[in-house]
Amino acid sequence: MAGLYIHIPFCRRKCAYCDFVSFADRVDFLPYTAALITEMRLYSPLIKEKSFDTVFIGGGTPSLLPAGLISRILDEARECFDVAEDAEITIECNPESIDEIKLNEYKASGVNRLSIGMQSSDDKVLAAIGRIHDKARSLSAYALAENAGFTNINIDIMHGLPLQSMESYLDSVRLASELGAQHISSYSLILEEHTRLYDEVVSGKLALPDEDDTADMQDAGITLLESLGYKRYEISNFAKAGFECRHNINYWNNGDYLGLGVNAHSALHIRDKWVRFRNHETIEEYVKTLGENKLPLAETQEVEREDEMFECIMMGLRKIEGVNRAEFEKRFGIDPVEQFAAAVSAAALDGMMEVTEERMKLTRRGLDFQNEVLLNFM
Amino acid sequence: MAYPRELIRNFCIIAHIDHGKSTLADRLMERTDTVSSRDMADQLLDSMDIERERGITIKSTAVQMFYKHTDGRTYMLNLIDTPGHVDFTYEVSRALAACDGAVLIVDATQGIEAQTLANVYLAVDNGLEILPVINKIDLPSADPENAIREIEDIIGLPAEDAPQVSAKTGLNVEQVLARIVTDFPAPKGEADAPLRALIFDSYYDNYKGALSYVRIMDGVVRPGDRIRFMHTGSEFDVTEVGVFSPSLKPVKELSAGEVGYISASIKSVAETKVGDTITLAENPAKEPLHGYKQANPMVFCGIYPADGAEYENLREALEKLILNDASISYEPETSQALGYGFRCGFLGLLHMEIAQERLEREFDLDLVTTAPSVIYRVILTDGTTVMIDNPANLPSPTDIERMEEPMCLSHIMTPPEYVGTIMELCQEKRGIFSDMVYLEQSRVKLTYQIPLNEIIFDFFDSLKSRSRGYASFDYEISDYVQSDLVKLDFLLNGDMCDALSTIVHRDKAYAKGRAVAEKLQEVIPRQQFEIPIQAAIGGKIIARETVRALRKDVLAKCYGGDITRKKKLLEKQKEGKKRMRQIGSVELPSEAFMSVLRIN
Repeated sequence: MAGLYIHIPFCRRKCAYCDFVSFADRVDFLPYTAALITEMRLYSPLIKEKSFDTVFIGGGTPSLLPAGLISRILDEARECFDVAEDAEITIECNPESIDEIKLNEYKASGVNRLSIGMQSSDDKVLAAIGRIHDKARSLSAYALAENAGFTNINIDIMHGLPLQSMESYLDSVRLASELGAQHISSYSLILEEHTRLYDEVVSGKLALPDEDDTADMQDAGITLLESLGYKRYEISNFAKAGFECRHNINYWNNGDYLGLGVNAHSALHIRDKWVRFRNHETIEEYVKTLGENKLPLAETQEVEREDEMFECIMMGLRKIEGVNRAEFEKRFGIDPVEQFAAAVSAAALDGMMEVTEERMKLTRRGLDFQNEVLLNFM
Repeated sequence: MAYPRELIRNFCIIAHIDHGKSTLADRLMERTDTVSSRDMADQLLDSMDIERERGITIKSTAVQMFYKHTDGRTYMLNLIDTPGHVDFTYEVSRALAACDGAVLIVDATQGIEAQTLANVYLAVDNGLEILPVINKIDLPSADPENAIREIEDIIGLPAEDAPQVSAKTGLNVEQVLARIVTDFPAPKGEADAPLRALIFDSYYDNYKGALSYVRIMDGVVRPGDRIRFMHTGSEFDVTEVGVFSPSLKPVKELSAGEVGYISASIKSVAETKVGDTITLAENPAKEPLHGYKQANPMVFCGIYPADGAEYENLREALEKLILNDASISYEPETSQALGYGFRCGFLGLLHMEIAQERLEREFDLDLVTTAPSVIYRVILTDGTTVMIDNPANLPSPTDIERMEEPMCLSHIMTPPEYVGTIMELCQEKRGIFSDMVYLEQSRVKLTYQIPLNEIIFDFFDSLKSRSRGYASFDYEISDYVQSDLVKLDFLLNGDMCDALSTIVHRDKAYAKGRAVAEKLQEVIPRQQFEIPIQAAIGGKIIARETVRALRKDVLAKCYGGDITRKKKLLEKQKEGKKRMRQIGSVELPSEAFMSVLRIN
């Protein structure tokens, strides 16, 4: 089983906090789509034995692409790869760029999960982080999605944003729940260097809530989401029973995935080796390389077995249920509790970790200090 | 055959930082074809990176040039470079003693600075002829008339016919060469007298050992001679003598009046002390040249490896460093907070900073440095006196009868508009006013007695910022005076951190305690528990701050594309942890020790 990720690097406008590989004000959708298709065709004979049970079209803003191109991409993916009948197929949308036509086309081309970037229900917060939609637009986008027949919808919400109060954040959570979202991703803002927001915060133009206020928001958000029937299954992800995102769970299981598109990352078992690779970072180089019928690889790296084990812990402990000991042992031939005996007992003594017959998992406190726990596993 | 003495000129260049000393030296070498401009590094005399960046010369070197004068004869010009900072006054005085003339460079856009003045007087005291040269006349803001007036009014030298040059473009540099020949005397000295060679610098060469850079005052020295260092008393056999062309070039002999190096397979520059006199063991001179002084460290600090495992590497680096700089002292010490390290002594604050930078750069070490300290004289109740260079070793207050601290006679030159703010600064630094003179309308000289303990913190930086860079500063240690000093300690989560202790005047203890506690509060990262920070004198708490507990340390998002980056972040975090120092339960970053130094 493996995941297929397809990156669409276009945005109408770059959000103030965004450091992803995305480009505003570009419209070279056709050459990019053609390159994606070439990339799939090049991989097709190489990845015959993998079966993909999830597809995730992310961005950027995939919903900016004309709907017909999404259908072409998905058709080609099925043509080139073994995509399971019941695969989870997600597309990321921004409220302002979806409409009835696009949504119907998605539906028809097999998309069965939407992820809507609402981020906040507070218009002044949205403006501060450079989003181009408002609350009203989020509401209508959600209604359109439901009308088109989507029954598995995620809403992204952020906290720790400029001008955001506790109430403003909790209102956003409540709204997502009232709308009926089956899944809510609730992230704490990561202030990255080389972003507009970073400059504004450093220069004092905008202030972020302080560390303690942000931590309070997160804690209150977890409590509220759980009271609304969303189960926290990963550090920042919450879902109604049965609606956990399979594509992302594969990442947290450190499973195989193939990434297509600009700067897309992949990790695959290739002849018993665990290999990570990533694509070129500019559209130009990506399109040019594929134009020459070559894979657009910027870097390839074989991961040592010890590193692979650590990755499984690092990603696995993001899940609330933690790392499955039997699965780890099946993959590496050793029980993780034995492999990392010292780190496990230190974390357990600190009240950060619980170990059962089946799993090793972080406690609520351990989840708050996941980084510090991980340092002992390195 | 010795070069005819009347055709030799030994000289140095005196200039303030940035006034163009190295540039002029380069031009002189170019004009005399000593080096071709193509293969010349930008600033040849300043061969160390740090010097280049700071625009100062740390170790003096020398260069020999040949110049064909208009009289048709070819002169040997020996340029002896001098260190350009107040910490090296003694070294400067020995370099000057090796010369007969000094080129004084004055920046036509800036005028004369305090340090320059100090060095000019030092040169005059050593009997040197002074040739003023006005530099940077190519700049639009150049005011050569003013520079001339300053030289005449402040120093008292005639400067009407001073060459006006641009070392940068090479304009009128020829005039400087001609005037060196006509204005400076040929060296005196007797080639037939017993050897007396003045060591003005030393240098450790990996193949030849410690080289003595000398000016031969009397006599001749040749390979094979047995030489004696008159102050240290040690004897060696000369393996090589040579000149600076500017790289080391062996010659058959060095004779009275000449400048060069003596190599005698000496293992350490500690043997080749600046100011010492070399003579021949067979036929020794009666008296050494006067002016020799043992250079004593004045400023001390603890130097520790940021990563405790690097201790041995630090020891090796220090051993190598002192091969070339015998004025640094070091001995092992242990700190509860920092583990194993060394107590190091330096001539002054700049000397200390340069040494730290060299250790980090040339030996690739990551260091933690404690706050600098001076040597306190502590008179105990039982009548004995102890010298304390590490606050952690200060005896208990009940055993102390009284304490004394070193004072500095400090000269500050400034445009009059900054006099007020500078006097305030000196006052804050417990300075005692002794004199104020208008050297001319636009230049005031202030003289204060200021405790060295105040100078070693941020006096120089404060002076520069308060005067917008216009004030200049020079000091010399004068004497010890009684002072009401106390030891200021810091406790983190109840545990004392010895490496943060300092000795301060009682009147300043409260303010300093508060300021450092606040600073620590800023630099100590939040940890999983709350950390109280306390400043204390004796057992009494005088300031308190708190580092609040950390609430979260987890990455909000981590998907397929983030894994590699996330691993790198964790590695960095782990690396950072390794560099943390454990004080009881508290983890303290190396920067905490540094930041304490930067408190007003």
